[in-house]
Amino acid sequence: MIARPQRWDAPFGPEMADADVERLMALPEFASIDADSFPKHTPLDGILRNDTRIVRYKSGDIIVREGDYGNSAFLVVSGNLRVVIAPALPRNLIGRQLSKKKNFFQALGQLWSNRTMPEVRDTSRYGGQSVREGGSQTQTDARIFLQDIPAVLDQHNTAQLGPSTLFGELAALGRVPRTATIFAEEESELLEIRWQGLRELRKYDPTWRKTIDDRYRENALKVHLKSSPYFEGLSEDELDEVANATLFESHGSFEWHVSYKRMRDQGKADKEPVIGRQGDYPDGLLMIRAGFARVSVKMGNGERTLTYLGAGDTFGYDELWASHLGQDISLQTSLKAVGYVDLLRVPAPILEKYVFNKVGGRQVASPLHHLASRTVAQDAPLEWAVEQRFINGTMAMLIDLNRCVRCDDCVRACASTHGGNPRFIRHGRTFDHWMVANACMHCADPVCMIGCPTGAVHRSLETGAVVINDDTCIGCGTCANSCPYNNIRLVDIRDTEGKMVRDPDSQKPIMKATKCDLCETNPGGPACVRACPHDALKRVDFRGDETFGGAIT
Amino acid sequence: MNPIAMRYTLIWGAAIAGLAILGVYTYLADLALQRAEFVTGYTLFAVLLVLALFNARKKLAMVPLVRSAYWLAIHVVGGISAVVLFFIHTGSVWPGGGYEQALALVFYLVSLSGIFGYVVQRIHPKRLVQTDLEIIFERIPAELAELREKAEAEIRACTEETGSDTLARHYMETLTWYFRRPRFFVNNALGGDAGNHWLRNQYRTVDRYLNDAERAYLDRVDELARTKAKIDVHYACQSTMKNWLLLHLPLAAALLGLMFWHVIVVNVYAL
Repeated sequence: MIARPQRWDAPFGPEMADADVERLMALPEFASIDADSFPKHTPLDGILRNDTRIVRYKSGDIIVREGDYGNSAFLVVSGNLRVVIAPALPRNLIGRQLSKKKNFFQALGQLWSNRTMPEVRDTSRYGGQSVREGGSQTQTDARIFLQDIPAVLDQHNTAQLGPSTLFGELAALGRVPRTATIFAEEESELLEIRWQGLRELRKYDPTWRKTIDDRYRENALKVHLKSSPYFEGLSEDELDEVANATLFESHGSFEWHVSYKRMRDQGKADKEPVIGRQGDYPDGLLMIRAGFARVSVKMGNGERTLTYLGAGDTFGYDELWASHLGQDISLQTSLKAVGYVDLLRVPAPILEKYVFNKVGGRQVASPLHHLASRTVAQDAPLEWAVEQRFINGTMAMLIDLNRCVRCDDCVRACASTHGGNPRFIRHGRTFDHWMVANACMHCADPVCMIGCPTGAVHRSLETGAVVINDDTCIGCGTCANSCPYNNIRLVDIRDTEGKMVRDPDSQKPIMKATKCDLCETNPGGPACVRACPHDALKRVDFRGDETFGGAIT
Repeated sequence: MNPIAMRYTLIWGAAIAGLAILGVYTYLADLALQRAEFVTGYTLFAVLLVLALFNARKKLAMVPLVRSAYWLAIHVVGGISAVVLFFIHTGSVWPGGGYEQALALVFYLVSLSGIFGYVVQRIHPKRLVQTDLEIIFERIPAELAELREKAEAEIRACTEETGSDTLARHYMETLTWYFRRPRFFVNNALGGDAGNHWLRNQYRTVDRYLNDAERAYLDRVDELARTKAKIDVHYACQSTMKNWLLLHLPLAAALLGLMFWHVIVVNVYAL
């Protein structure tokens, strides 16, 4: 018997002391908060103690990198930071990989340059990396730092961020990549607030809510609305009014991969919070900003999945339009969060005023129209893909087992392009004659990128693939533990003489995270696809029409 | 038309057109009392070289050569076309001369093993899917060992709980043979169901001597045995899909050797 686990069993910063909390409570950002507005089970000091941590950065330490995924925001307590505006810092400076495609002869050269031992590295190149340990001495606290700050200030347009500045909140709450790189100009102390704490602060304190919401409206919402076909042709003032009336919501857990992995291991379906229920009246148009949601209808004693929605999709338009035309109609389908969903709710009166009346309510293609005539059998692959969360994959390895002769040419091809060790396992979950192999799917929502202390896991600018910079990977395993699909592996590395590389102090082997990189540096695309003689292996975007031979559309 | 069918249609079209041109050329050369063997022979030589390059392509996976799927299509169509070309070249099914007969024998064996491999690779993947189980070939011994251990644990538990050795005796007499290694290889490779038939028989044989408590153990052992039957199918089918190449590749290498010598001899003595 154990006590039921509680939310704050694992504080964000285990080293937070009473004195730290008292000091934080004295900061103007928290001193002005009415602590009584917080519920008893989630008091303000509890949030500060358990959902925040104080982090000290040395001069030059990079705090956040452009393109990173992060689940926390930062409040500057003391010191000054710099945000790089333009031009962006060179990618190698922020720990990214500079990938260059090999030419034909360089690619051919791997035939004799590949070693008989797998995972051989030229360890001399690791010495030049600007990685240093953070304050807490833990491996996951390692940091990339800039060695020459004056040169960076000379060559890049930057702005200073002083004490009391809050940043990173949009990326943390909206699960979108960070938009700029920020580094410490001098020794600085920051309060890092994980997303759960940030959510509570926004929820219970009007000042924090206003600050965060205003920033979102100012920086991102109008751009998002403008890109939607529903609001085409609206003037700036009208867009402002729509933006001001729009509500922000998030459903599900930001760390959905944790519960998903647990549920998957136990063979049970994960709980999916209901966003809109079939039969309820719609009060607004739901626009998905990030994450996935399942559209389903009641069927017998269960729910039948019709489709799933991702960033840019909307829900409820048809019903709202029917209501506008005078029909008494409720939601025809339910919408549930698959993992984590961040969405906007545009209230019905605003839609009436600016879309239905002003624009004329022209029919905008709805993703739900074509679904009614499908059979249950046709929908079975979709149901499975949503259940397994494979819909997250943009380049999932899908193998048609009816064609696959299990020759492992794909595995050998992968090994020959990756120094003798394949980056995937030809095994995975199956449905009918389809298998999604254990290869990185280059997810739309790459949870592996959250928490990487050095930014080694990142999206390639060239291809959009999620790749790992071997030079800055410190082998902490954060990404491998986060990957919901177990597609990242830690490997022991060897030096050019074939000897295991070990840490001189602990004598423990040095490890590196490895995964499929879509053969980013090799010409011709993924070697696995090119090597399959039977057309059995494809890399698919689960949102594409061709997935499962067109069964999912 | 799907891209795969389109690919094969195009390659077949090109092959048939090539064969037709060579056929007409041979016919016309015969009418003109000229020898067409030189042209058809070198064409066959070139085709066989291209077929052999498919294996080299597999070793060069890191280089952006044409996709393996195209190579396989060319290999299949080219291989079948080579048989027709062989007939055009020799003018008969079985040539005269000891060396040529040896060459023809190896050629036929390569062709037959290739056709066998192609057919097996079209049929067996679907049979594997129908087992509702997916297993990596190299993992099969470990899986079998695990199943065997579980079955033996059930048998031991049955003896301890019921005090009866009936099931244990039956296991030692018959099932231990079954669990020891993959069984019914040929039958499984040919698509039969001998494994499950044998298991049903064994179940019935011992069932009449068991009480309810022992039968519960028998059911669990039977479930493990059914899983093993599926693994046996995988073993047989995956082995066949891999091992036909152990015949095809050495024969193809021998054919290339014989062919080179044939070309040298013909160029030295016949021209």
